[in-house]
Amino acid sequence: MIATLVESRALLETVVASVVASVGVTFAFSVAIWGVGRFADLSRNDKPLAAAAAAAVASVALACVAAALVAGIIVMTSK
Amino acid sequence: MSADVILVIVVVTALAFDFTNGFHDTANVVATSISTGAARPQVAIGMASLLNFVGAFISISVAATVANDVVNADVITPTIVFAGLIGAIAWNLITWSFGLPSSSSHALIGGVVGSAVAAAGFDAVLADGLVGKVLIPAVIAPVLAFLAAGMGIGIVYRVVGRQRPGIVSRGFKFGQIISGGLLALAHGTNDAQKTMGVITLALIANGSLGANADPPLWVIVSAAAAIALGTYSGGWRIIRTTGTRIIKMDAAQGFSSQGAGAAVILASTHFGFPLSTTHVINGGVMGAGAGKRLSAVRWGVAGNIVTAWLLTLPAAAAIGALAYGLTRIFGTGALGPVLVSLMSVSLIVAVFARRAQRGAPVPASSG
Repeated sequence: MIATLVESRALLETVVASVVASVGVTFAFSVAIWGVGRFADLSRNDKPLAAAAAAAVASVALACVAAALVAGIIVMTSK
Repeated sequence: MSADVILVIVVVTALAFDFTNGFHDTANVVATSISTGAARPQVAIGMASLLNFVGAFISISVAATVANDVVNADVITPTIVFAGLIGAIAWNLITWSFGLPSSSSHALIGGVVGSAVAAAGFDAVLADGLVGKVLIPAVIAPVLAFLAAGMGIGIVYRVVGRQRPGIVSRGFKFGQIISGGLLALAHGTNDAQKTMGVITLALIANGSLGANADPPLWVIVSAAAAIALGTYSGGWRIIRTTGTRIIKMDAAQGFSSQGAGAAVILASTHFGFPLSTTHVINGGVMGAGAGKRLSAVRWGVAGNIVTAWLLTLPAAAAIGALAYGLTRIFGTGALGPVLVSLMSVSLIVAVFARRAQRGAPVPASSG
């Protein structure tokens, strides 16, 4: 019974961690690509301020992806 | 002396299984990168091979589960482990021969469970561990990857749907190098550990290690090397099935499916669940296809794969039980394992000869 409870908790944590990590990283990476695309378009249209803002969004999103990857590897190797 | 000979045969057989695992399974890991053109086949396979090796050193939770939580180590002998491995290898070869990406992991666990039941009855199986750590995760994991990839691709199309296709495609192809690498790392850490667990189980059964012992370093290094070599050796026919026949993918779908697969496998590995990477990546591939358009998935091919999944545990268990019975015909010494090993090698040569007669396997890019 205790073993089953432990497995249920571990399974639930697996489900939550998988969905949050997968969907979160995919969202962040999509935002980064959106930012790069907007940066290219806005730069071409001579809108440097807006282009800089798009580049900043892309940078933050890429930083989030990198942070998620590093955090995942630290969690994996720390057990 | 006889026990040591059997142990050596078990270790060699386990490493051979690990090699076939890499050969058979890792094609699934690189299929999406190759299918979308994110990486050339040689580069994708080389990178997967290297990351499989590295991944094997990340964790030992799955090895502990295989060694201690599936069958009762007190009644296990090296001969039982050997017969289980034969069951797994035979099933892997059968499915490989037909180009079906079934699960090496479930074949391994099915084989060991089958031979243990044949040798010592159902008491040899730890039902709690088998159900809680293998069967339930086996059902949940591919569904989870399917849903995560489906949600992911939905988000992707909402965020970048109005961007120019060139930038989006290049961006996700770059992203696939990272997601594909993570998936290979995840595969290495989960799958190589199963071989480590089986060798550790045999060492415990032989009295070479104490109960609940962790895998020794030489076991970790040899399992990592075997799966990496197997990966490098390829598996083109299965790449073709997974990469192009299930759905025609774009780079965003590839990224989403690989990201979902890596997340599910790594999270499961952390908790010691011996998953099938094949099931998970195929679940992710189908989820990414269904998330874009349900009809994009070739459900007939997907159905064949699901059938192979369902058959794997019982089929490998039956072959494992048969291999144990065959081994015991020759007594409890080393003669049985030696003869069954020779028969297995003959079978492998026959399968490869049959494949060679059919012609060279077809790479994904031409499919």
